[in-house]
Amino acid sequence: MATTTASGSLRTYLVTRLLLVIPMVWILVTLVFFVMRVIGDPISSAFGGRLPPDQIAIRKHNAGLDRPILTQYWDYLTGVVHGDFGTALTDNQRISHVLWVKGAATLELSFWALIVALIIGIPLGRVAARYRDRLPDVGLRLFAVLAYAMPVFFVGLLLKLLFAIKLGWLPASGRASTNVELAIQNVSPKTNIYIIDAILYGNTSYVVDVLKHAVLPAIALGLLVGGGFLRLVRVNLLQTLRADYVEAARARGVPERRVVRSHAFRNALIPVVTVMGLQVAALLGGAVLTEETFEWQGIGYTLAQYLINRDFIAVQGIVTAIAVIVAIMSFLIDVVAAVVDPRVRY
Amino acid sequence: MLITDRRSRHVLAVCAAAAVLAGSLAACGAGKKDSGSSSSGSGGSTGGKPMTIGTTDKVVALDPAGSYDNGSLMLETQVYQYLMTIPPGGKTPQPDAAESCSFTTPTEYTCKMKPGLKFSNGDPLTAKDVAFTYTRIVKINDPNGPASLLANMVSATASDDTTVVFKLKNANDQTWPYIIGTSAGPLVDSKVFPADKLLADDKIIGSGQYKLGSYSKNNLVQLQANPNYAGAFKPKTADVTLKYYTQASNLKLDIQSGAIDVAWRSLTSTDIDSLRNASGVKVHTGPGGELRYMVFNFKTMPGGSDAQKRAVRRAVAYSVDRQSISDKVYKGTYKPAYSMIPDGLPGHVDAFKDEFGASPDKAKATSELQQAGIKTPVTLNLEYTTDHYGPSSDQEYNELKRQLEGTGLFKVNLQSTEFDTYSKERVADSYPIYQLGWFPDFPDGDNYVGPFLANNNFVHAHYCDADANGTPTGTNRPCDKDGVLPLLTAEETKTGDARTQAFAQIQAKLASGQLPYLPLLEGQQIAVARSNVTGVDETLDISFIFRFWMLSKS
Repeated sequence: MATTTASGSLRTYLVTRLLLVIPMVWILVTLVFFVMRVIGDPISSAFGGRLPPDQIAIRKHNAGLDRPILTQYWDYLTGVVHGDFGTALTDNQRISHVLWVKGAATLELSFWALIVALIIGIPLGRVAARYRDRLPDVGLRLFAVLAYAMPVFFVGLLLKLLFAIKLGWLPASGRASTNVELAIQNVSPKTNIYIIDAILYGNTSYVVDVLKHAVLPAIALGLLVGGGFLRLVRVNLLQTLRADYVEAARARGVPERRVVRSHAFRNALIPVVTVMGLQVAALLGGAVLTEETFEWQGIGYTLAQYLINRDFIAVQGIVTAIAVIVAIMSFLIDVVAAVVDPRVRY
Repeated sequence: MLITDRRSRHVLAVCAAAAVLAGSLAACGAGKKDSGSSSSGSGGSTGGKPMTIGTTDKVVALDPAGSYDNGSLMLETQVYQYLMTIPPGGKTPQPDAAESCSFTTPTEYTCKMKPGLKFSNGDPLTAKDVAFTYTRIVKINDPNGPASLLANMVSATASDDTTVVFKLKNANDQTWPYIIGTSAGPLVDSKVFPADKLLADDKIIGSGQYKLGSYSKNNLVQLQANPNYAGAFKPKTADVTLKYYTQASNLKLDIQSGAIDVAWRSLTSTDIDSLRNASGVKVHTGPGGELRYMVFNFKTMPGGSDAQKRAVRRAVAYSVDRQSISDKVYKGTYKPAYSMIPDGLPGHVDAFKDEFGASPDKAKATSELQQAGIKTPVTLNLEYTTDHYGPSSDQEYNELKRQLEGTGLFKVNLQSTEFDTYSKERVADSYPIYQLGWFPDFPDGDNYVGPFLANNNFVHAHYCDADANGTPTGTNRPCDKDGVLPLLTAEETKTGDARTQAFAQIQAKLASGQLPYLPLLEGQQIAVARSNVTGVDETLDISFIFRFWMLSKS
């Protein structure tokens, strides 16, 4: 009976949360659409000063931008529902195609960065809590502040100077060496996630090459998020260590190391799961600078190029897609949090 | 960190299993489609070692109807043929896909095609394809396309399989042979390209030295020797890969480390200077077509009368030190320009050096202002753009400010604007004196004077807004009283010495200070290549065409 109630509340929570995603996405898409229109119409933004007014008027008409704003909005909304984000003005590429190809690159970078963030944040947070207010704790707190306060491009530059130029251990930029990149473009099925494509291609040296190219960008971006994780794990672990059940364990004579490891640590990680969802947006934001610094041709890199070229159709499509991705990730993280922590459902 | 608890051990085990699986899959080659990273040359006349070229120039479109920019043209030049093209080291267009081209009447330009030409897909290249190429550019009229270059074309028609006739509006247009070698000239397959819309980049077909292999836009492009190429210039390297960069610093690191073989456009002057002393690489320099000017807006520049304004322009011309800017700011990557037509082109004369000298002359600058009754210091509001003419514009204009203020005759208010705003405000009279650059469409003197002096020119500096009777015309037409119009007509329609003379006379008028332009710098083409790469110097000529087919690696 108790199980039925628990699964019922989980189901209700998930359905409610899922239904909330729809208005959230709708509000985001609407905001993006109208904010872009406040700036001006995309044709004038892209071609103003380069084409005479009559030519701009013709192109606005052909693109349907002289129709009532609500008609345009409805068409755009319908397109987004069908996965059609429009076509870029400056290079005539379908935005859905750009998202598929470049989004895979960003996903790969974000994955590696998240791995780095977790490797840095969780064990070091645990060490900091374990040695509260002692030298390791002070040092790690300082490191955490530096990690998330230093601009990504600056960290990236330092990493490149040290590991690529000074030591020559790792490549300075790109997602793979030229020959590897050419080779894995022929792999089938092609995912555009290079580590998977390299594995599918079946050459171990190519896998190593892709991994080597990922190291510096992943560290640069991972540090940004990892610093936050470190502080979060430390604070939560400290709070958990003061909880009654932990005190009870200590009273039973359980050694402090085991108290931390077996009783406090796992519970202290629950908020990290929630924060991971929020960090998706930070990762995507940080990816813009990381991708620029390391020539990692992902969605952030592409967005920056379209912004420079004032291609607001492309910018609108990519920003909308990012908003949708963040909303969906947020939902998925809520699902995981609800499964891990029953208190979330109530 | 010591892994002790059971969960952590599980995680480690899963990671290890994943790594082993990845390695196993990699070893198995689950999804491999082909066995090599680079092609075997696909029928090119020569093999050569595969070569990688790095660039920061981006492609807008590879369909010639949708592109009119350096990045697209660089790739198009390798993939398509032209009716006429400038051969390496040459200065005038010579037949390429055409056997011969000439004016058959003053307004008809006729080209006979070479027999047996084919596109890379095997389709024959006929006069019908040529007529189709030009007609569709005008029809599509893409905002990023080169339709404006064909403004003088009435029609292009194929009278038979080997003859194409261009009907022109203006008679004896001496620039037409050049124009068919520009962004408007790559010949396309009428069976592949749609007549009324652009074709996707990865679908394009040409008849040039190379065909597209794998294509990842503005990321990585593989070119393979075109087995059907029937032109005179066979590629020395069958496999060329073009790698794109956003950051010039990454391009520099990769050429230095040997990750790429050639770095072509655009390294910063500091990077180039640093690479001159690096081992394993060589900096190659060739004549460039790019010019930089200071422009005076006749309506808003300082001065109470035309005579005073002219005196200010002449005083500024006496005060600037081009050599200093070239040395200090551009480390020799730009050289002083004293002409409206770059060095190496017919019609080039150092008119501004003859008039104002190579070095600053404060006494003469002072004299110009005193004779015109102008109080000093004269306040100059000088504007430049931060993001269109390279990262050194701020240093360039700060150096100019220092030079002008150093004479004690000027007080300079220096301001900068992002290019999008700059390009709009510049023609809206917001900037009294401003920076301007010019990248030529084709290497001919006309392209360096015509667009600046013709009716309704793009500069909008209000040079001669009134006609000969003093009646404002509302347009930016040249002054008949200066005699520029007949000279422009002469250089556009005449040939030989008559044309060269017309160019010289136009420049003498420009250097008198009567016109609003002061040329400052001339860009040079600079490529950096690994020491084992040959052919770079040969392609860095006045045509501004970077020919991949000339490069090879030992």
